[in-house]
Amino acid sequence: MAKNNRRAYLFIAPFVIVFLIFNIYPIFLTFYYSLTNYSGMGGIANAEFVGISNYVRLVTDTYFYEAFLNTIQIWGFNFVVQMLIALGLALLFSDIRLKLRGVSIFRALFYLPNIITIASVALLFNILLDWNHGALNQMLLSLGLIDSPINWLNSPAYAQSAVALIGAWMWFGNSFIILLAGISGISRDYYEAALIDGANWWKSFTNITLPQLKPILLYVLITSIIGGLQLFDLPMLLTDTRGAPQGSLNTMVLYLYNQAFRYNNFGYGATLAYGLFIITVIFSAITFRTMYRREVR
Amino acid sequence: MKKISVAKTFIYIALVLLVVICFIPFYMMIINATRTNSEILQGFTVIPGAAIFENYQTLISYMDVWRGFTNSLIVAVSVTILNAYFSALTAFALVVYDFKWKNVIFVTFLVMMMVPGQLGLIGLYDLSEALGMLDTYWPLIIPAIAAPFTVFFFRQYLITTMPMSLLEAGRIDGASEIHMFHRIVLPILMPAIATMGIFTFIGSWNNYITPLVILRSPELFTLPVMMGALRGSPVASNLGAMYLGIAISVVPIMIAFLFLSRYIINSISSGAVKG
Amino acid sequence: MKKLLLLTVLSILFVLGACSSQEKADLVVTSFTDELQEPINKFEELHDVNVDLQIIPTENYTTTLRPALESGEGAPDVFTGEIVYLKDWIEQDYWANLSTDPYNVDAWEDDYMDYVWDLGKNSAGEVRAVSWQTTPGGIYYRRSIAEEVLGTDDPDEVGEMFSTMDGLMDVGEKMKEHNYRLFPDEGSIQPYTNGQDPQPWVNENNELVMTEARLSYFDYAKELRDKQYTALAPAWSPAWYESFVGPISYNVGWDELDEDAEDADKTEVFAVSLPTWGLNSVLKEEAEETSGDWAVTNGPTPYFQGGTWIGMYKDSENKDLAWEFIQMLVHDEEFLTEWVTETTGDVLSYLPVTTKISEDFSEEYLGGQNHYKFFLEEAQKIDASTITKYDQQIGELFGTEVGNYVEGNVTKEEALEEFYNQVENAFPEVTVPE
Repeated sequence: MAKNNRRAYLFIAPFVIVFLIFNIYPIFLTFYYSLTNYSGMGGIANAEFVGISNYVRLVTDTYFYEAFLNTIQIWGFNFVVQMLIALGLALLFSDIRLKLRGVSIFRALFYLPNIITIASVALLFNILLDWNHGALNQMLLSLGLIDSPINWLNSPAYAQSAVALIGAWMWFGNSFIILLAGISGISRDYYEAALIDGANWWKSFTNITLPQLKPILLYVLITSIIGGLQLFDLPMLLTDTRGAPQGSLNTMVLYLYNQAFRYNNFGYGATLAYGLFIITVIFSAITFRTMYRREVR
Repeated sequence: MKKISVAKTFIYIALVLLVVICFIPFYMMIINATRTNSEILQGFTVIPGAAIFENYQTLISYMDVWRGFTNSLIVAVSVTILNAYFSALTAFALVVYDFKWKNVIFVTFLVMMMVPGQLGLIGLYDLSEALGMLDTYWPLIIPAIAAPFTVFFFRQYLITTMPMSLLEAGRIDGASEIHMFHRIVLPILMPAIATMGIFTFIGSWNNYITPLVILRSPELFTLPVMMGALRGSPVASNLGAMYLGIAISVVPIMIAFLFLSRYIINSISSGAVKG
Repeated sequence: MKKLLLLTVLSILFVLGACSSQEKADLVVTSFTDELQEPINKFEELHDVNVDLQIIPTENYTTTLRPALESGEGAPDVFTGEIVYLKDWIEQDYWANLSTDPYNVDAWEDDYMDYVWDLGKNSAGEVRAVSWQTTPGGIYYRRSIAEEVLGTDDPDEVGEMFSTMDGLMDVGEKMKEHNYRLFPDEGSIQPYTNGQDPQPWVNENNELVMTEARLSYFDYAKELRDKQYTALAPAWSPAWYESFVGPISYNVGWDELDEDAEDADKTEVFAVSLPTWGLNSVLKEEAEETSGDWAVTNGPTPYFQGGTWIGMYKDSENKDLAWEFIQMLVHDEEFLTEWVTETTGDVLSYLPVTTKISEDFSEEYLGGQNHYKFFLEEAQKIDASTITKYDQQIGELFGTEVGNYVEGNVTKEEALEEFYNQVENAFPEVTVPE
């Protein structure tokens, strides 16, 4: 085992070198920028060192809190809808009494929106949801479901819901597949024993399926949180790229992008990156703790 | 029994309805891609129009979507291959050998897996500028060599599936270590590589923010950046051409997926349970 | 396995390499519209070269091009700049200094309108960019509709009706009675709010300047919307372009439209505020069907909007060719005369040509009107001192907030406060009122 360790260095060298240069160094560089008023133009040499004043601004920045809340709201709504559909489908398809057919076809069809470029989806819904001339309103009007067009992308509630639901539409297939795989992995014996004990469907769901599924649910939760906190493409391209209507689609990463690359506040953009990082760490820590507690039991 | 078959009928109807709802946006997109701007503004119909060729001319005169397709493919395939190969190599070293810093590296991985990609974005931009790599694919591709999550996944996979005796036997036969990596370890890892490869490919294919920041020349644009650039471009005055542009970015990948779906979805299922 | 992998990696790297070093054009020109395509075609013919025009949409133009200019990576040889960020760019070291040898453009100064020339000069007095056009604005309207509703299509008479805000609103009312709409959207009124008292967005003390005139945009925009004088077709949207061609769908629900249902969900737009270049790049380009049915006249106040300046990148390796191209575009009498009279109708700031053609210009698209004369007079009223480097971003932020107010999402006070907060957030160095 301990042999050949010089080769080991050689084998991990590409990883370590690239990791240091393209991962670690940019992170430190970003941290350094967060202590300056660098505009991103004319080289860092022209920037002033401003100490922690960017961080002072961060903790008092209402737009940052707003962006945080927007992100959480959109993610939360998206996650609930996505999981309800995915879990419902997974339960249906794994039910031993129903024995539904066509699993692989449905899995494929439901998964399909996942592989499509989010930027394309955002652009598509940007024109589908247009107030006066969007296909959705046109269709609802001609079906008589509404009397007047709804200005979807002008109302913060509708716009946030739209992002959440588009996200749910894109990603429920992925969760469904993962949950279905998880449920299929639960031993049949449990259910048969429960059946003999006369347990009803709900009892076996709460007493067997859910506890057995917990690790998978947590996995889905963690990946969803980390992805959700980085929400960017969809809110950016769905409206005016600045988070309209009324800043309701201004997510944390979109705010970071606009500060750094639209308004040329590299220094503050870098600070926002660290704000995002801290929030991600807090959320991940909470989830990891929950996971750890489960293992102790 | 009867109750169940009635229930099943309802469930099938509901499922088909769900599929229909899922596909309505694509349906609208494809129909409108064949209609003229003024037809689209007048209202939605379920029958296609006849303007697909004009729309294509409008679109292609401004933006070569196929070029974006090729570009995205180049980037995503390179990323996927580099990611798989070097992650496997690193995981192999971590599992098979003992060396100084091994634990340090491993712990660093665990920490780095939590770091959002955007943390280093501004730094990466400036680094690329310093290295003369702005407006090239290098900053999009090279970082794929160092992907902690993939290494972590491969490491777990190797620990559970690789018999050390196989390597010992190889050593006795005088095989070099790198040779054994290619001949023994990579084949064993193949299922894991396929799973992570799919995720990596989709991730790179969809990546918007990094190429948005790094690329400038329209002929280098990847598909997502091209889609972003379509807004506010001359094409945007013609909805039919817009729909067509989006459709071109979407439909080929849908078709490719339908061919590979069984394979892809099985990989995801198995990946989920193991991960 | 190994060989296969290696081969794949190598071949991909090769493709990559090939892509980054593909056959180069002799000259790369970057701009935000396709208006340079024609001059480029001509130039290619004349010099037997290959010029690549890269178009980056206005929306992303500065964010995309700026890093390239900063770093030199992927920078073009020649690039244009819009008036709204021109001020900023000429102070950066992006465009080459044209006042030096071998260009010595200072000798050209008398050939151009003063303000156009001066805007291309940085604070050190070096000319970094030049322009061929001047961009006063007016109101373009449909002659047939004017005839039907107002009883005349004469630009002077219509201009008389448009000469005050009240007059404009009166026309709006008349249009509405005939199921026409005065403007496609509320943005068409903005030039005449700020035009009452032109001030820079940010003054020399880095203070945001808010004037009564600017504030009146809130009220006028709201009035237009509430009285239904607009067709709800936001500027630059597909519906906006479509509104110059014929009737567009109009369904607002909350409005108790005339019950003779037939055309109640359709309306046609009468007029739009656009500057000189709108004729070429908006109307002629997107509304061929209504050619000849248009005319242009004054609004309540003069204004100007946009304007493209051009220069060559300081580190371009093709400076000779770049210089040839720029000379042709802004200082070639023969070319400019032909370009303007035969196709675009764009209004030049290059005096040797304007004096020659302005007297008897007749623009077919505008029903034979001599818009040149009108716009050259309007150009005299341009005061370029109000331009700042903040104009684009602050203008966008302001427009968004006015939009929120017009939609009824927020009160005027809330919109204004949000605007100030947004400005402060984007530009920490700017002080906002109170």
